Amino acid sequence: MRSFFVYGILLAILLSACEERVNIQLKYEGDKIVVNSLLQPDSVAYVRITRSVPANVYDESGFAEIGNAQVTLLQNGVAMSPLQQQTIKGRNYFVSKEKVANGNNYTINVTAAGLTPVTAQDTLPPAPVASDPVAKRSSTRIVFTLKDRPGAADYYRLRVFAYGPDNLPDTMRNFRLDPAFNNNLIDVITNTHYPSLIIDDTRFDGKTVNFVLETEHPINAPRMMIEVSSLTCSGFKYFRTVDMQTRNGGVLITEPFTVFTNVRNGYGIVAGINSQRLEFSTE
Amino acid sequence: MSLAGKLLTGILCLLLCFPLKVSGWDWQTRVTVVVKDQPLRVVCEILEKGYGIHFSYSRELVDLSRKVTVTAHQQRLKSLLEQLFAPDDIRFTRVGEQLVLQQIKRSTRTISGYVQDGVSGEKLPGATIYAPTLKQGTTTNQYGFFSLTTVKDTNSLIVSYVGYEPALLPVDGQANRILLVPLQPLASLQEVVVSGTDKTKIQDQTQMSKVHLPLAAVQSMPKLLGEADVMRTLQSMPGVGGGMDGAGGLHVRGGSPDQNLILMDGTPVFNFSHFFGVYSLLNAEVVKSADLYKGAFPARFGGRLSSVVDISLKDGDMRHYHGDVAIGMISAKFNVEGPIVKDKTSFIVSARRSYPDLLYNATLRTDGEFGKGGAFYAYFYDVNAKINHIFSPKDRIYLSLYKGEDNLLIKSVPDSIIPDAIGRMTESSRFQLGWGNTIGGLRWNHIYNTRLFSNVSLNYSQYAFRTEYEFKYKLPASEQVSDLYGKYFSRMKNIGLKADFDFRPSPSHAVRFGGAVTAHYFRPGLMNLSDKGSTSVIPLDTAKNWLNIRGTEMLLYLEDDWRLGENLYANLGVHASGFAVEGRFYQSLQPRLGLRYMLPRNWAVKASYTHMNQYIHLLSSAGTSLPTDIWVPSTQRVAPMLSRQVAAGIAKTSMNNAFEFTLEGYYKTMYNMIEYANNSTAIDQPLERWDENVVIGKGWSYGGEAMIKKQKGATTGWIGYTLAWSTRQFPDINKGRIFPYKYDHRHDVEIVLTQKIGKRWEASASWHYTTGAPLTLPVASYHGAGTASPWDPGSGVDVGIDRYDGRYNYRAADVHRLDVGITYSKQKKRWRKSWNLSVYNVYNQKNPFLYYMKRDGDEKQRYLSKVTVMPILPSITYSIKF
Repeated sequence: MRSFFVYGILLAILLSACEERVNIQLKYEGDKIVVNSLLQPDSVAYVRITRSVPANVYDESGFAEIGNAQVTLLQNGVAMSPLQQQTIKGRNYFVSKEKVANGNNYTINVTAAGLTPVTAQDTLPPAPVASDPVAKRSSTRIVFTLKDRPGAADYYRLRVFAYGPDNLPDTMRNFRLDPAFNNNLIDVITNTHYPSLIIDDTRFDGKTVNFVLETEHPINAPRMMIEVSSLTCSGFKYFRTVDMQTRNGGVLITEPFTVFTNVRNGYGIVAGINSQRLEFSTE
Repeated sequence: MSLAGKLLTGILCLLLCFPLKVSGWDWQTRVTVVVKDQPLRVVCEILEKGYGIHFSYSRELVDLSRKVTVTAHQQRLKSLLEQLFAPDDIRFTRVGEQLVLQQIKRSTRTISGYVQDGVSGEKLPGATIYAPTLKQGTTTNQYGFFSLTTVKDTNSLIVSYVGYEPALLPVDGQANRILLVPLQPLASLQEVVVSGTDKTKIQDQTQMSKVHLPLAAVQSMPKLLGEADVMRTLQSMPGVGGGMDGAGGLHVRGGSPDQNLILMDGTPVFNFSHFFGVYSLLNAEVVKSADLYKGAFPARFGGRLSSVVDISLKDGDMRHYHGDVAIGMISAKFNVEGPIVKDKTSFIVSARRSYPDLLYNATLRTDGEFGKGGAFYAYFYDVNAKINHIFSPKDRIYLSLYKGEDNLLIKSVPDSIIPDAIGRMTESSRFQLGWGNTIGGLRWNHIYNTRLFSNVSLNYSQYAFRTEYEFKYKLPASEQVSDLYGKYFSRMKNIGLKADFDFRPSPSHAVRFGGAVTAHYFRPGLMNLSDKGSTSVIPLDTAKNWLNIRGTEMLLYLEDDWRLGENLYANLGVHASGFAVEGRFYQSLQPRLGLRYMLPRNWAVKASYTHMNQYIHLLSSAGTSLPTDIWVPSTQRVAPMLSRQVAAGIAKTSMNNAFEFTLEGYYKTMYNMIEYANNSTAIDQPLERWDENVVIGKGWSYGGEAMIKKQKGATTGWIGYTLAWSTRQFPDINKGRIFPYKYDHRHDVEIVLTQKIGKRWEASASWHYTTGAPLTLPVASYHGAGTASPWDPGSGVDVGIDRYDGRYNYRAADVHRLDVGITYSKQKKRWRKSWNLSVYNVYNQKNPFLYYMKRDGDEKQRYLSKVTVMPILPSITYSIKF
């Protein structure tokens, strides 16, 4: 028996990886303006301006805002009314007076003292056509219908929310495409669920599809909401690459994923998004 | 002449500083001549000036340009002349006071046969056959065959091979017969020699950039968890790098693992590893020898860019039954061989299996873990079998089979169905994962005559990866029942027919030629998943995400090892190949050129220039070899890969053959290499359109390798040093700028030593040092966006994004490690036992396996973290040979 224990200990040494901190000075590109704005048709624009930090900075409360930034919103190259700073839920936003609308091109220019001015632009996507959400309580399946435009490249983001005691969709639920629906064995083996799903229409272009989602935990809320958002190509690239970088967890076996940005001379994203929210009661 | 006259002449000679000058001469005249590396003509001039011996000859007919080193003090004239002129077949005759030189027209004869182990009858590839007086020789080919055309009156040849007593082979009357030359194995522990081709001096081969590895070298290395390993030994050679710490990938001269052609008895192998690259596919005990070509590729090889590993397996003892049994920390194995019909037919069978899962099942597993109907297995195994039959002295046939797999099975059937944390009641689950190779070969060796040998082979090689998953559960509250079954399957296979001919038309030429046809079958990425539960789910799409492609590769080659002059040798070759796939046809003509020029003092200068072509590509997104990697053929968009390599170097063996020294430099360019574009991976892209998701680029590798080996005596080993650069350039990666290869290591040092201690003990140590690999780290972090409005559901969630600016802005920590081993062997009456104690990573160096940016919530810090997986690992192996 002793030899078995010796063997077991040695095997455990092999299999138990050792980890230690590496003290190196990480390179830093220098402070840059970060612009984040997702433009929803028929809504005012909310623009958040922050400052980049070195990669080793641990900041739980959010990245430093640039309060004195000059933010300009242009519609088809024409400046819109000056944006107003508003503090919402403890955060500073630059908010437009006018609503943005489909069929236009929007540009956001930002300047700030001591920093290189940045600019970014995008259009707005059409609204998605989603309907008929269904879910049975205590099950893990949600079904809804999505009608895709034929011949056009469409991009989507899906999120699932449960209604809480305040009757608000305030709890984001992790989910994935049902593995049988997705015909993907890897999903089953890895057994991971995510707060959002970023997908293009390569597999269902022009079709009306009954999407089947599988939630991580059984559905117990009386009401649920599926948010189906159309994205522009820039928005799709951004969310997809953020998703991949997050899933990779920074492990440097494979090459790290570079997050897409359309902000020239800075970081962040300015992209159109068009969300449709399907609220429904569970059966 | 009178006595007085002679005295006077002698005095005059002394005065004129010609100490031994005489006015007349005869055959008994004692002469003194000391020259170093001078043409024969100079010796004649010295004799003429010093002793009045006038040489008469035609410069057109008699060649006196051969350089000689002579140290003759008071030697009889006739014996000196015989010594000088015999190798060149020059006859000398006295006519009056003149010595007339004539070129003898001598006929030649060809001696051919096999060199084999005198005890087992095992054929010995790379053995040397040498005529010492003529300074002429050859080596056996990979089947142990040799053919040497020499002058007719050659009396004997010396035949030698590492680990065997050299033999003197009388050749009188042996012409036009096929000889069997038995060599007796040395009684003591085998001498470890890693060299060009054993005792052939490295400067006597035109082939460069080659390492020959006999079984003894593999066995003498310190073991990792009790396993001797071919690939791990090859990694300790200059110019060869491993991948991640603990993994066994071969990166030869800046090439990636998919650019290595690994041949097992001539059959290509797709994936040469067990246990995610930690161990080689093969039990080292069945390996006879391995040749690694890093450059200067002979024309007979093709199909990969960066290296050829040509492994010869044992054929089986023709006379005696014997074998060995061994158990280490990870696996147990046996090997049995012997005659089926003595001196006619032999067999060898070997098998190996890892056993930790058996121990776990027997001792640690509890009944409740997987249920009574459950099971757990995690193991690798391999089985080798070979039959070798001699039909006639001219015909011999080999049939070999290999099967090796890695398997994992986790099957759970709970005895009582209890809801889990989310209320799910699992009825059963099964996860099975496996991959492996199936290889078969049928070879026929035929000797047409003493100068022409052929090998015709039919090869089959298959690599398959499969996963199966079953999961049956129910959610009672919602009556949801799920019965999932899915599988993923990938298979690549080759069926090939090849004919190789070895032709020795004259002493100055060794010609090889041949051709092959290989059918490639690619069937990767077949996946399906279905749910037979209560609710039927219609899949999103039924589009296939797998390939089923057949390609045909054909090749012809011709090479000639040619002695161009006294000191100049060439290996000239051409390799022509074509590849037909999906209605397209690719072809290439690949020149192979090697040159050698002999300098004084046994120094050889070598140079080579080669082209290599590769028609198949490996889709790998991890930067290292994984079982899931997929081979695909070239497409309309992705053309075959091409490399050009030029190498130059010097080589020398010391006078007593104890030391061998090589120094080589190389420059290699690689074209049409593929890499997944930024943010694409093999997993998330449709396989049908794989070529749209890769970028096509170039690579450059250059550097130098030095190696000094001690190959005689109680202490043997080598010191190798590599200085190398390897870079890549892809249009959409790193903004189109050149960046280092993932495993670009600037400096690499390998020290391997083996020490015999008495008759029973042998100690070995190897120290490895390499500078850090490139690493990409973020250059900033910033806040990410989540929602359009702060009032939207899900807003306020912070998303931190890392900014990367190009590839490889850092270098990982240097890697170094000391491994040691000691073996005790004792011969019993009928068997020999041995114990080996090895310690991997003796000083427990924490070498990096991977890095990641850690977000430490407890410390509220973010920093780079290094993960180490291979600490100090002692192991014991016990083996018995009988």
